[in-house]
Amino acid sequence: MRGFLLNARAGGRKTARNVGLAALVLLLVLLPRLGIPAVYLRYICTIMMYATLAGSLNIINGYSGQSCLGQAGFFCIGAYTCAVLSTKFGISFWLCLPLGGVLGALVGALVSLPTLRLQGIYLSIVTLGASEIIRIVAQSWTNVTGGAMGIKSIPKPVLFGYKIFRPQDYLYIFLALGVLFLFLSARVLKSRVGRAWMSIREDQVAARSLGVEIKRYKSVNFMYGAFWAGVIGAAYAPFVSFIESSQFTLDTGFDVLAMVVIGGQGTLVGPIVGATIVTVLTESLRFLSYWRYVIYALIIILMMWVRPQGLIGASKSVLAGGQLRRRPDKRAGGARA
Amino acid sequence: MEYILSQLMNGLCQGAIYALMAIGYSVIVGVVGMVTFTYGEIMMIGAFGAYYTFLLVGNNLLVMILAAFAASFLIGIVVYKVCYERFFNAPRHISLLCTIGFSILAKNLAQIVFGPDTKPLQGIIDNRIFPINLFGLTLQIKLLQIIIIVLVVVLALALTLFFNRTKWGVMLRAVSQNREASYLVGINVKRVTMMGSCIGCAFGGVAGILLAINYFVVYPTMGAAYSIKAFSSSVLGGLVDLRFSALGGLTIGVIENMGISFSSASFRDIFAFGFLILVLVLRPQGFATKRGSRV
Repeated sequence: MRGFLLNARAGGRKTARNVGLAALVLLLVLLPRLGIPAVYLRYICTIMMYATLAGSLNIINGYSGQSCLGQAGFFCIGAYTCAVLSTKFGISFWLCLPLGGVLGALVGALVSLPTLRLQGIYLSIVTLGASEIIRIVAQSWTNVTGGAMGIKSIPKPVLFGYKIFRPQDYLYIFLALGVLFLFLSARVLKSRVGRAWMSIREDQVAARSLGVEIKRYKSVNFMYGAFWAGVIGAAYAPFVSFIESSQFTLDTGFDVLAMVVIGGQGTLVGPIVGATIVTVLTESLRFLSYWRYVIYALIIILMMWVRPQGLIGASKSVLAGGQLRRRPDKRAGGARA
Repeated sequence: MEYILSQLMNGLCQGAIYALMAIGYSVIVGVVGMVTFTYGEIMMIGAFGAYYTFLLVGNNLLVMILAAFAASFLIGIVVYKVCYERFFNAPRHISLLCTIGFSILAKNLAQIVFGPDTKPLQGIIDNRIFPINLFGLTLQIKLLQIIIIVLVVVLALALTLFFNRTKWGVMLRAVSQNREASYLVGINVKRVTMMGSCIGCAFGGVAGILLAINYFVVYPTMGAAYSIKAFSSSVLGGLVDLRFSALGGLTIGVIENMGISFSSASFRDIFAFGFLILVLVLRPQGFATKRGSRV
């Protein structure tokens, strides 16, 4: 085993990462057989859900360097799509998943339209506003979304006549979605599209001068991130079986952002680590009531002080200020908001 | 028609408070050079400072406003030390996340310290109404609204005087224009930046107590909704220009209240954000004549 690990290290960090991820997946597949109480399996489901949601935000924030703060909005779209379609029209969960994603991507495209001309903080405020607008529409459009009452008793998914309602079954749904997301994203990021996103992140002007169509790739980037947030939202709705608009506030979006940044932006593993830490922390300290959020907040601030690139991120990354070190002239200007 | 007129008056009053928030926010963004998400909590702390002063010394509006000013001014120092001081050379999302963390911290500490329940704040200003005849229509203006609008105008003028006529004001403007050049002419940039954070926060605190007086309540999570409003108003005004930010706040207040007078009150934020997004699409620099170069 030891030799194997050493070989993996010699083969580069990527191989080690893939081996680690494969081991994690194997562990999660076997987990329901280990006799762990259902309540813990439910926590693990939640962690996997947030890991994928954080991953979808990471695609936007970490890989193309945009600052989207409204991932809760796309998540909300997916959840309500699945809830409405399955309760009112009896559409199968397996069809709701991609539909939630597609609707999320469409809204993502809509949000990205005004943002194509905007950068930095202007982009943040538009995504923030869009997220709030989506939530308020969900809260007020009583005929469709049930208004403040929310949508109750969302049907459980059925697979080949087998009704999925136990946490250990959901574990497989979220695991499959997570693995699919990681696999597809790793492929996309290695492709021309992914390289274009990263070039936009590193230096927008240089990217454009090399022939990267900034607007198109930014828009595709938003749609891809929003698609996965929508898919996860659609999977979330039957998992909790009751949704209402207060589950999708800006604070939810900030939590997801905190997961991405604590884990490490611009890395595939980072959001998984971040989601695990944040969820374990907020769930296990539940008995502390308000104090758990105080601890959570202190951890966010401490992370930003000590390791702004996240636990997994590389210190020379642009996201940790790597690029700024190469450009001392910008440094003195000081301000970038 | 009279209903619409009174809604317009409500909008102007709320817009005046938003304007005060936006002015403070713009001072922070201008001088510190970073956006903040703690603003709502700073308003809450200002409001609570004034509330406890009210319990201690009784009904004295001036003392309450001074207390709100002082409480949030001091918090401005803490925010500067925690969220800005180390991050001038770092990418902006780091300080942004730090302010989000500070906001969560302040909100929950306030719930522990002050208690999570809503506290009533009534009888600060007499519930007197002045009817005014306007082309045959009766417009009813509350004493509360007059006082709020007058206070905001006085504070805004005072800040303008401070910025234009005092040494500190000149230093603040210098740092806001160019940090490096300010170093070169011997300005203590760190201290001035901290002062900018404090003044911005103090204005937020005063806006917080005005909101509390307007709605008759104080509670620890009151800031959440207004943090984004201050941000939006400031963005609408082009982020760094105080006059345009005030105009942005006023506009958002009026648009919100006119919007809900034609529909339901739950759509309030949709009008505010919808209008903001529309403006940003058509004119990304907001009301400002040129795009804020630093942000």
